[in-house]
Amino acid sequence: MRFFSADQNAQKIEMLKSIPIFHKLSHKELLEIDELLHERVYEKDEVVFEEGDPGHGFFIIVSGKLRALPKNESFKTATLEIGPGDLLGELTMFDEGPRTATVVAMERTVAVGLFQSEFSILLTQNKRIGVKVLEEITRTLIRRLRQVLLHQKHLPSL
Amino acid sequence: MRTFPQPGAITLLVVILSTCLLLFLFQKIIWLVLPILLALMLYYSVRPVVAGLVSCGMRHRAASKIVCLFQLLVVASIIVLGLLVLARAGRWQSSFDRYMDGGKNLIERTTQSLEKHSPVFQRMKLSKEVDVHLNQFSDGFAENNLLPITLQLLECLPSLLLIPYITYFMLNDSARLKKYIIRSVPNAYFEKALLLFSRLDGSLQNYFQGLLLLTFLDAICLALGLAVVGISNAILLGLAAAVLAWMPYVGSIIGCVIVVLVAATDFPDHTWKAYACLGLFLGVRLLDDFVFLPLTIGRKLNVHPLLSVLMLFLGATVAGITGLLLALPVFGVLAVVGETVAQVFTDRKLRARYKASRQLAASG
Repeated sequence: MRFFSADQNAQKIEMLKSIPIFHKLSHKELLEIDELLHERVYEKDEVVFEEGDPGHGFFIIVSGKLRALPKNESFKTATLEIGPGDLLGELTMFDEGPRTATVVAMERTVAVGLFQSEFSILLTQNKRIGVKVLEEITRTLIRRLRQVLLHQKHLPSL
Repeated sequence: MRTFPQPGAITLLVVILSTCLLLFLFQKIIWLVLPILLALMLYYSVRPVVAGLVSCGMRHRAASKIVCLFQLLVVASIIVLGLLVLARAGRWQSSFDRYMDGGKNLIERTTQSLEKHSPVFQRMKLSKEVDVHLNQFSDGFAENNLLPITLQLLECLPSLLLIPYITYFMLNDSARLKKYIIRSVPNAYFEKALLLFSRLDGSLQNYFQGLLLLTFLDAICLALGLAVVGISNAILLGLAAAVLAWMPYVGSIIGCVIVVLVAATDFPDHTWKAYACLGLFLGVRLLDDFVFLPLTIGRKLNVHPLLSVLMLFLGATVAGITGLLLALPVFGVLAVVGETVAQVFTDRKLRARYKASRQLAASG
């Protein structure tokens, strides 16, 4: 019986490879980052996190769909559905601030979480992977900031 | 640095009781607890070395192997040295008697000098009283304690080989072990559990790295001081006294007594050397409390001084020397766990989310 041995099946690595934030990583790098990711499964209507909760990391949606329900009026008209490949809660990677919206699963959803403690290990011990992931997070943040600045009705940073 | 609310009275009581229970259990399996504790200390002290090797381009597993191989060599050398010392256990009785005589001689001289200078002590017949008590103590001590101590040391030696093995396992698989444990945590408590792990890791790292640095600084100060006084084997005695100080309060006193006994035996006609050693220990103690401790383990466990003394007494009552040694780290870790569990139990929002998730999972 395998308890906490390395889960190195090809299917899982392929799944990680298909996520945009990891698409630049090699097979070996994906194996390394897989050890730091926490997979969670959310049932339909299950709350992922609530607005105001202290955040300690971000989620990447693998399959399924989530919906953000912000109280902030300026986000009410925005499209707040989050699907496969999207990042969720990435702002809290840098400041441990409160979550800016409640997020609920619209269908059965699989997500992987990367948290501050693991991310700092990645940045100090394996800078190459850390920089690639950081680059992708920054790209997402810039894209979202640009959308907000251009008043597009799309997903703001959560 | 983030601050967290202090645990309430009930949480504190539960943490104290759990600490006592754990210490009692740990005393029964000290042969296993001791290597795990030392392995934890080594893990936190070599982790930056492994991280450094990895950032230089070495693979994590290879770096861990190199570090653990070095540790294995060190532990094997300590075991061989320990066996050589134990092989000479037959001579311990005579050595013990010699050092006790040296100590008695010092105390006799001191009490006689006190009687000479103070009529109060003369009327009390201080030297006679002290002599009777010392004879009673030294006769009983050697007969009752030397053999059990020797047997306990022999019992612990083989288990020390576990240290590099446990350290290697922790260096390689701690992330996977954490992931495995977190997997069983419900979604509602998932982030809290991760935060708990992170805080425990941080506290233990501060504590063990600080303890090692403190031991290093203590050993250097004591060895230098003893060398200046002219005591033989100054480095060995300084190191032994610094390691003994891992046992709070009692360890420092034992270390001081050993060094003073050595000084009194090696230099029976120069009592000032024994007094100088006593002064040196007091000086290092003050340096420890006011300079080294705040610089090294200052932020370690954040336990109130009164509570730490209470835990030491409770630890010693429940589990003797093991209790003294483990009371503070075990209490510190359980305080963090208790605090987080209490936060989860008192957070209605989290509990409601957990109930809702269970219902959704059951209906799905």
